[in-house]
Amino acid sequence: MASITIKKGHNIKIAGTPKRQIEEHSSLSTVAVHPSSFRYVKPKLMVKEGEKIGLGEPLFFDKLMPEVKWPSPGGGTLQEIRYGPRRVVEKVTVALDSEEETMAEKTYGADEIFGLGRDEVKKRLITSNLFPFIRRRPFGKVANPEETPRDIFVSAVNTAPLSPDLELILKEQMVQFQAGLDALSRMTDGSLHVTVGKGPSAFQELKNCKLHTVAGPHPAGNVGIQIHHVAPIAPNDVVWTVDAQHVCIIGRNFLTGKLDPSLIVTVGGPGTVNGSHFHSRLGASIQTLVKDRLNGSENRIVSGDVLTGRSSSEEGHLGFYSDCVSVVPKSEKRSFLGMIHPGSPKTHYSLTNAYLGRRMSDFGFTTLNNGSERPLVPIGSWEAVLPMDILPNELYRAVVAEDIDLMEKLGILECVEEDLALCSFACPSKVDVGGMIRQGLDLIWADSA
Amino acid sequence: MKFLSKILKSVKPKFDEGGRLERLYPVFEATETIFFSTDEQTSKGPHIRDSVDIKRVMILVVIALIPCYLFGAINIGYLNAQALGISRGWVENFLFGMKQISPLIIVTFASGAFWELLFPVIRKHEVTESFLVTCALIPLVMPPELPLWMVAVGTSFGVVLGKEVFGGTGMNIFNPALTARAFVYFAYPVAMSGDKVWAIGPDGYSGATALSIPAAATNADSVALLSAFTQFDYSWWNMFVGFIPGSVGETSKIMILLGAGLLLITKIASWRTMVGAVLGLLGTAALFNLLSPYSSNSMLTIPPHYHLVMGGFLFGTVFMATEPVTGAHTDRGRWIYGIMIGFLTVVIRSINPAYPEGVMLAILLMNAFAPVIDYFVVKGNIKRRKARYAQ
Repeated sequence: MASITIKKGHNIKIAGTPKRQIEEHSSLSTVAVHPSSFRYVKPKLMVKEGEKIGLGEPLFFDKLMPEVKWPSPGGGTLQEIRYGPRRVVEKVTVALDSEEETMAEKTYGADEIFGLGRDEVKKRLITSNLFPFIRRRPFGKVANPEETPRDIFVSAVNTAPLSPDLELILKEQMVQFQAGLDALSRMTDGSLHVTVGKGPSAFQELKNCKLHTVAGPHPAGNVGIQIHHVAPIAPNDVVWTVDAQHVCIIGRNFLTGKLDPSLIVTVGGPGTVNGSHFHSRLGASIQTLVKDRLNGSENRIVSGDVLTGRSSSEEGHLGFYSDCVSVVPKSEKRSFLGMIHPGSPKTHYSLTNAYLGRRMSDFGFTTLNNGSERPLVPIGSWEAVLPMDILPNELYRAVVAEDIDLMEKLGILECVEEDLALCSFACPSKVDVGGMIRQGLDLIWADSA
Repeated sequence: MKFLSKILKSVKPKFDEGGRLERLYPVFEATETIFFSTDEQTSKGPHIRDSVDIKRVMILVVIALIPCYLFGAINIGYLNAQALGISRGWVENFLFGMKQISPLIIVTFASGAFWELLFPVIRKHEVTESFLVTCALIPLVMPPELPLWMVAVGTSFGVVLGKEVFGGTGMNIFNPALTARAFVYFAYPVAMSGDKVWAIGPDGYSGATALSIPAAATNADSVALLSAFTQFDYSWWNMFVGFIPGSVGETSKIMILLGAGLLLITKIASWRTMVGAVLGLLGTAALFNLLSPYSSNSMLTIPPHYHLVMGGFLFGTVFMATEPVTGAHTDRGRWIYGIMIGFLTVVIRSINPAYPEGVMLAILLMNAFAPVIDYFVVKGNIKRRKARYAQ
């Protein structure tokens, strides 16, 4: 049991914080999965347009790991398969039936699961198409069933801006969460580490895992930061990570024999009104989520949080690993003499105090880049928001130089882009640090394959 | 404002791809973004960005230098009045000083901007704003009466050979402003050293700087020498306030500290470098004080707190050592880098009889060694990380 206190980092004070209550939204008509969004995976479709598909049945598999199949997040008719450039499958959309057919399997009692053997759990995760919920580090990709992870990590804390409050969500689902943890704990010879927020909470009753606490600003809730502080990833180590809400999905599958893709999703950001937590599901249609909640017409809708999410549209769907929709207003406002203008905390948000005003209330960010890309001037803004014993500047330079050996020595295998996303936010040179880290990882992946 | 925006919009097509002045696009872009902040949008990755950009960072450094300019102008007038034996008011002193340094500023910015615009046009990238800081620093580290052609040659040397040949902002090894000063110092030593250039007086007027007084004597106590000096008031307090001869911006430590405050509040300069340099200077000076009985060198007797207010040490530490590109890039490295600058400043001042001022060379020397410091800090980081895996 470790008690982690994070000092470096920053909680972005962005307007449109979702209300701390779970509401219902109008019923969904479509759900979707984006096969090309999974990294280092070669998707091969198993369905055709117009076919019927049951909830939880496989949509496609990975040619490199044929056992790993992606479940359909809904039962109904396959409405559309969208191809992108070079025939990559960008999106598979399912139109939901009012009575969804659901694939059913054996059920287990809540106290039975921890007694199962590793092979039994693994077989079940494969036949129920649950493996895509498990990601492995290094590389932050879908886990390989052939590998036995050193440890498994679950973060039950969200610190990303506008993301769901996991304590609010999980306290209603402790049985399912525990069932999922029991199943996952069988998959490793090491430990199952669960990190929760400091202070008394429902989580203290969790068993069959190692509980850790974390406190501090974003990115304290990122599982990568927690792994770094609990047991860092050494070269040749493989650890698995699972999102807390996905642990519940796995747990529900063991308990009920069916895939229940329910997910609590937040809608928030400066471009929303009445943002809140909503009962929704995996790959839900964004239109349903944001209906009547948009403020103004010129908005960028992001599937995921504002730091790491993907640009989407009202017609889009939630990403597989997203549990949040952020809406940021577009702005093309060019302020006169912006570089000398002293500005005010109302018009400029600065992490470095360059605008010399302490911001107290929430700030209405826009999609403005607030500057153009420039060569690096290392004034220490990256280091101030990266709570890891990693030298971001040197690592960045190693990636630019394509020096794989140095990248690995400097700890690139411990990171994925979300861990350094705040560096990009803070960077005065407007460099995409997280994206650069991913470039480095791509290079290493290509080199090892 | 709308009028300006209209003009910019109307001439833009000429600079766009295929336009008649396409090659000069960087010049247009630079002009446009001086007046109006850019409307560039975030793409993927973080969809929101902090408001601080390099333009803002650079302009804040320039703002931090303004107090030094204001005091510098007053001081030039004050010293001139003293040399002529007349009395003048503050405003007159300031105007006299401004008359002296305005040409310096104009020539520096003109020659700096010329090179800074030429290179992006040839290399086809956007103009970086760091030349604003370089050009704002150069007049402050020059003597007030330096011939203007020397200023132009020095600025050109600093910008081109100190920065652009390495690839421009972010890639340079040496601080361009200091490179400019070092060039003028070694190329035209008569105009940059000695006792005659630091205060404007009648022909042949000469006044020793605080550092050259103990340098010229042997077996003497430096504080006694300084307080016995009558031409200028070299008490600690007056050296701190700044009514002493020297380069334009380096004399008033109060104004430098004001600038330092702004740079630290806005987190633009590294406090580690600043504190390191001051500690290095104080420590080395204290050590030399202990050694002074065994030597005839009077420089060794300068007390640590005198070192702090003499010469250009504080100006160099606050505005030049903290330059993020040419200094150490790691936090630990910044400590070592700062301490070494303080140490070398005292060593060069005290032990090298040719250069009574040492901070310029100390910073340039440490610029050269900063990558080596970082190399060892990185090695230490790799080693520490390895040790953690073993657990």
